[in-house]
Amino acid sequence: MKSVGSSPRRGGGLGRVTGHQQYLADIKLPDVLQVKLVTLPVARAKINSIDVTEAEALPGVAFVMTSADLPQPMPRFGPQFQDRPVLADGETKYHGEAVAAVAAETKEIAEEAVRLVKVHYDELHGGVYSVAEALADNPLLVQDPKLRGDSPLAHTNIIDEKHFGWGDIDSQESDLIVEDTFQFPMVTHFAIEPHGFMAAPDGDGIEIWSTIQHPYLLQKIMAKLLDMPLAMVRVHAPDPGGGFGGKQIPKLEPLIAYMALRAQRPVRLILTLDETFQTVRRSSAEVRVRLGFTENGVFTFQDIETNFLVGAYVDIADRVVSKSSYSAAGPYSVPAVKIIGRTIVSHTTPSTAFRGFGIPQISWARESVIDEAALRLGVDRLDIRLRNLARYREEFIPLEEADGDWEQTVRTAAKRIGWNDPLPPNRGRGIACGMKSGPTTGLSYSTVRLLYDGSAMVYAGTSDMGQGARTVFAQIASDELGVPLENIAVVMGDTAVVPYDQQTSASRSSVLMGTAVQRACQDIQGKVLTMATELYGINEDAVKTVGGRLLLPDREVTLTEVMQEALAPLGGEVIGNGEMRKEKDPNHPLGGTAAFFEFNCTASEVEVDMETGHVTLIKHVTVGDVGRSLNPKQVTAQDDGAAIQGLGHTLMEHYIFDDAGRVRNIGAIDYRILTSMDLPLEMHSESIENADGPGPYGIKGVSEGSLLVTAPAVGAAVREATGKVIRDLPLTPQRVWEALQEDENGS
Amino acid sequence: MNRFQYARPETVAEAVALLEEYGDDARLLAGGTDLVIELRNRWVEPKVVIDLKHIPELTPSITVRDDVLSISASTVMTDIAEDELVQRHFPALVEAAVVVGSVQIRARATLAGNICNGSPAADTSPPLLVYDAVVVIAGPEGTRRTPVDDFIVGPGKTSLGRGELVTAVELPIPQRPFGAAYTRLTRRRGTDLASITLCCGVDTDGHTRLAYGSVGPRAFLEIDDTGTLADPSVSIEEKVAPLDQLFHRASPSPKSLRASPDYRLAMLRVLGARALETALGRLTKEQV
Amino acid sequence: MNETLTINTTINGRSRSIEVEVNHTLLDVLRDEVDLTGTKECCVVGECGACTVIIDGRPMNSCLMLAVEIDGSEVTTVEGLEIHGELNVLQASFLDESAAQCGFCIPGQLMSATALLHDNPDPTVEQVQEGLAGNLCRCAGYEQITKAVLAAAKEAMR
Repeated sequence: MKSVGSSPRRGGGLGRVTGHQQYLADIKLPDVLQVKLVTLPVARAKINSIDVTEAEALPGVAFVMTSADLPQPMPRFGPQFQDRPVLADGETKYHGEAVAAVAAETKEIAEEAVRLVKVHYDELHGGVYSVAEALADNPLLVQDPKLRGDSPLAHTNIIDEKHFGWGDIDSQESDLIVEDTFQFPMVTHFAIEPHGFMAAPDGDGIEIWSTIQHPYLLQKIMAKLLDMPLAMVRVHAPDPGGGFGGKQIPKLEPLIAYMALRAQRPVRLILTLDETFQTVRRSSAEVRVRLGFTENGVFTFQDIETNFLVGAYVDIADRVVSKSSYSAAGPYSVPAVKIIGRTIVSHTTPSTAFRGFGIPQISWARESVIDEAALRLGVDRLDIRLRNLARYREEFIPLEEADGDWEQTVRTAAKRIGWNDPLPPNRGRGIACGMKSGPTTGLSYSTVRLLYDGSAMVYAGTSDMGQGARTVFAQIASDELGVPLENIAVVMGDTAVVPYDQQTSASRSSVLMGTAVQRACQDIQGKVLTMATELYGINEDAVKTVGGRLLLPDREVTLTEVMQEALAPLGGEVIGNGEMRKEKDPNHPLGGTAAFFEFNCTASEVEVDMETGHVTLIKHVTVGDVGRSLNPKQVTAQDDGAAIQGLGHTLMEHYIFDDAGRVRNIGAIDYRILTSMDLPLEMHSESIENADGPGPYGIKGVSEGSLLVTAPAVGAAVREATGKVIRDLPLTPQRVWEALQEDENGS
Repeated sequence: MNRFQYARPETVAEAVALLEEYGDDARLLAGGTDLVIELRNRWVEPKVVIDLKHIPELTPSITVRDDVLSISASTVMTDIAEDELVQRHFPALVEAAVVVGSVQIRARATLAGNICNGSPAADTSPPLLVYDAVVVIAGPEGTRRTPVDDFIVGPGKTSLGRGELVTAVELPIPQRPFGAAYTRLTRRRGTDLASITLCCGVDTDGHTRLAYGSVGPRAFLEIDDTGTLADPSVSIEEKVAPLDQLFHRASPSPKSLRASPDYRLAMLRVLGARALETALGRLTKEQV
Repeated sequence: MNETLTINTTINGRSRSIEVEVNHTLLDVLRDEVDLTGTKECCVVGECGACTVIIDGRPMNSCLMLAVEIDGSEVTTVEGLEIHGELNVLQASFLDESAAQCGFCIPGQLMSATALLHDNPDPTVEQVQEGLAGNLCRCAGYEQITKAVLAAAKEAMR
């Protein structure tokens, strides 16, 4: 019996296909108050007063929460900077920021009451909506310098400016230098499950339900805000209906908690899809790339400047900037690199983590400029990448080594797309490479219980938001304990039950929590081995543990058989604990080395309708270096899904603002994502498996790779088909058509 | 949604009486795919919602009498797309009906609702204009018939008077070979609101009927009797100029999120030429 | 005329008489009154399909219907797909193809697929993609979902 490497049905799958899966909004708390947010139809406003009299007089309204009802000064929180207020603090800083919240007996009454809350405000004209506005001389400051501590940049809109690099770019001799600037739009996560939050007082503590990816981060933030011990803050985190990074960081949980404590009743807020647009988004970015090459297309230097436009509050965006900028030069061996990365605040929706964590923004620019260089040098676009690709185990970034045979990945993608095949008219091909650092630190604990009847329970603080963590943890436990998959329950999502896990992000869970699960199983193996030596009066050295079996000198027994014999007649169970640490490295600019890289090569073939600008994806190939596929079907599904999501920001997704900073295309009608009719005609997602990763059985993380370089691969294909370079995403029909109208001088 | 009364008349007369009584405070509910959104967003706050689906005369039906095909007011897009008579005589209407929203929307959205809603982007307006459809209206004064070209007025506006409702849409079955095609411009292949809706019909006597929407306050019908456009032997290059003239009423809004005016105007020409080609191809087939 | 109405309907084979507010959507009534939470809420404008149910044989967005409109109709939700407590062919196929990832869109996908196979037991890839185009999946498991529907069709015809 080998579960690892096979594709059993998904853990939690039954609930998902029967409708019985309890997502947050499906959980009913007794005596609950329904919450609706009060927002303003403007982006920036000074709030003069909020009159709640009429709203609170409406029968069924419990109360209206305003900033005046919160502790003073306004409590603020955040994963990096404590800058996000629980409610807008005297001023709204982006369109959709909540200024008050109504608690009422029903959703309808709450909605009605929202209309009766009288917010007296003055719209503040002008705002910071672009990189240029943010960096202008004497700019309007998005954040109060008083909140910026002793930052030397406190009187600017730059939260931080990172400087990375190695070698001296100015002393390099180049035959060709190419420079260009590319734009990446604001896009949103659009999880089909909108964010939801509930809270209820629980004796001296509080219970919180959230669609959060990081229940333990939420617990920590809430304990600090409410001045409660961690043990008194219980977080329930049911499997999120899609996260993609947008559910990592607490958003409205503090507000809901304060409301529950005020009401002394459970309260519930389920956002609408429209409200999620004003809650999470990806950072837009302006990325300038200057690359130097020898005449053979070998890098002499890279000079990259990234300006990420984050929102009004920093959330985790500054980490997005530092982590992605650090590896901005891509998976290449480059003698000299200079990188400046800026985190720039603006009067827009706070941006947060989003699948790819900054890499798609940077690689869109870098890979496109590499193509320009290849064309000018007369070097094939595939070859230029192969010539520069970091070799296996090469230290290609200080303190980081290439952890895979990346050339194999690139060659596989090239073969799959038919790189050298003749192209029919109006067609083009593109290829691009990218990699993303996995977690730089990590801490995961798991407890596994081998129950008396030979079934097992795995406890893991990971959130299964579709990546399939439940399945792979059960697969690992199945192989390690010799317990059939169907007899394994994976328990997640409750901080009162499941031990600590730092977070579910950076494609870490199979590697980090997977290792913790494996170690917990090994702990059980060791305990059962001790039982066997005592039971059978043999030496430890005489017994070998293979998977879920013990090889005794004379026979083979299962762990369960030994346990049952040892624990009879009372019964009982064997409990194992596992821990996985990815320690900090104080010498590393990011605080730790990459646990692994997600390396991906994407190749795409498109056909462009030269009259309308419509782009049809004929064939789309992504190949990822995954170390090993624990569950091939799940890996393919994640890779296909990531690629299609990447095609979203490549072809159609973007926020559209008006001049006053309001998002005009909120919701599902005018913000387009791909449907089943918009897919590439042919799609391949492949895995390179050399079992050379740090996780159990040699795995690396997966799930983000396939969208890292979707845009540059497709952009290059469109360029080849049309002869036009387009520097802004998405590549909408209109934008492609406009490019086609340009004359040779580009005007 | 605001609180409202729900009425379920069983005759057209009852519905008309309610409409007369409540005027603008009444909203008609057929498929509801637009109305429910308007209600939820409180864009409308009626006192009464009148459900038309329990009136026997309006229940889904597609019939032919005296060479006129009649589609009752509760007939949904799916019914229209699947109907053999419509497929045979009005293929461009089928092409429009099958791109109205998703399968779920088409199972609910009615043809009458599509034109009553008054959206300049309504997919079915151009084919109805090209096929010279007539709207059957019941009101306090009895029944009247009006060409769809007169029925459609502007965004959210029709020629319906107080107390009036649409009971059916009638399409005269072409008595001579007629080729028609519907096409649209969207941002993606999957369900989308169109940035251009366009239908072109040609006959063997040299008449070209071309209707286009989503580029102005309403869909417009243009008729070309010169014979140039409908002549399969005239090259497409020679048709560019006369085709262009047909779009003189296009005035796409610069405020649209879906496409810029320049792009829409350019695409009108592209789509117009393509629909004309397809229509001519179908006409040739009809004649064989 | 009323602000509430008692409607008679069959939901997942069970006859019910329910008093509903006339301004409540079918989605709200299914989730909040009938406690069938398998039907999901997302966009509430008929774009995402998470709320899809089958009414008298056709898939519809329950967010765009008033509950009063199902008076006299037969409604099937995702909870009504299992046959005697066993997964039906489509459900099993979705599991086998790893078509359900986060799973939030899956009830709607299953309802659209059910209606599609009812009308067209042997669809092509394009017909499946067209039939399910009203159901957004942000995990973007479209390839797997399509495969699952085709496999279920094949299985059902055996």
